[in-house]
Amino acid sequence: MSVPHSPATDTAATAEATSGAVLTPATGVPDGPADLPDTDEAGADSTLEPADEVVVAGGRSGGTELLVREGDVAGDYLERLLDILDVDGDIDLDVEGDRASVAIVGGELDDLVGSDGAVLEALQELTRLAVAQSTGVRSRLMLDIGGYRARRRASLTAMAAEAAERVAGSRQAERLAPMNPFERKVVHDVIAGVAGVRSESEGEEPNRRVVVLPER
Amino acid sequence: MLEEALEHLVKGIVDHPRDVTVDLVGGRRGKTLEVRVHPDDLGKVIGRGGRTAKALRTVMAGVGGRGLRVDVVDTDGR
Repeated sequence: MSVPHSPATDTAATAEATSGAVLTPATGVPDGPADLPDTDEAGADSTLEPADEVVVAGGRSGGTELLVREGDVAGDYLERLLDILDVDGDIDLDVEGDRASVAIVGGELDDLVGSDGAVLEALQELTRLAVAQSTGVRSRLMLDIGGYRARRRASLTAMAAEAAERVAGSRQAERLAPMNPFERKVVHDVIAGVAGVRSESEGEEPNRRVVVLPER
Repeated sequence: MLEEALEHLVKGIVDHPRDVTVDLVGGRRGKTLEVRVHPDDLGKVIGRGGRTAKALRTVMAGVGGRGLRVDVVDTDGR
């Protein structure tokens, strides 16, 4: 798929994600549930795209209630999967900012994370689809398994802070390694908190990457 | 177990869960999970650019081993 992205897309989305925007239910909005998987915006990487704002703007109040429901649906979907696979694991549900947050903890969960978190990303995508199927609203829920994202967030945060420091000193832009949307958001958030530098994303998935630039 | 897992994953994302069936078939190239869904749900299971089918394959390979294939069977028009 090739949805063209503007270089500043992720940066803009970061601002959106940190502005405390609340995802509100869009039930009754013209582009209903049946269209979800086929729309341009559907899919995991749209998490960070401004297209999300269309959904946010089209919604109503009661966002937290929807997020709690999202968590419940996701929890049931994943719990049943663990049962079938005979994998021990507990499911923690939470709401973080404007997203439902679902974590599978405990047990032997490496197979469900996969190398570089590939299985985790795939499961998150399927879980979002299952939630959308049930609620009729596209979901941006975050799934973590066995603390993988938490660990990844910590190492990316350290790496981004180092890159920001180098760029602030050298005034030379730096291109980071390709990352998925979750990872790019972590980096953008770190860069946004450092004076003298800014960040953009460039390239197409799966090679989309963050560029750290000196502020003019 | 693997058939049941895939069946569960697919049933959760379609309009016609009762029409979802999964068969595990063995061939010389290894095991394949054949998924059949209601014709109207084919698009949902395949996803835009095949990304939902890819996610299903990734998850099933993760829990069932790299050699495990997932085949979405197109029953439309039969």
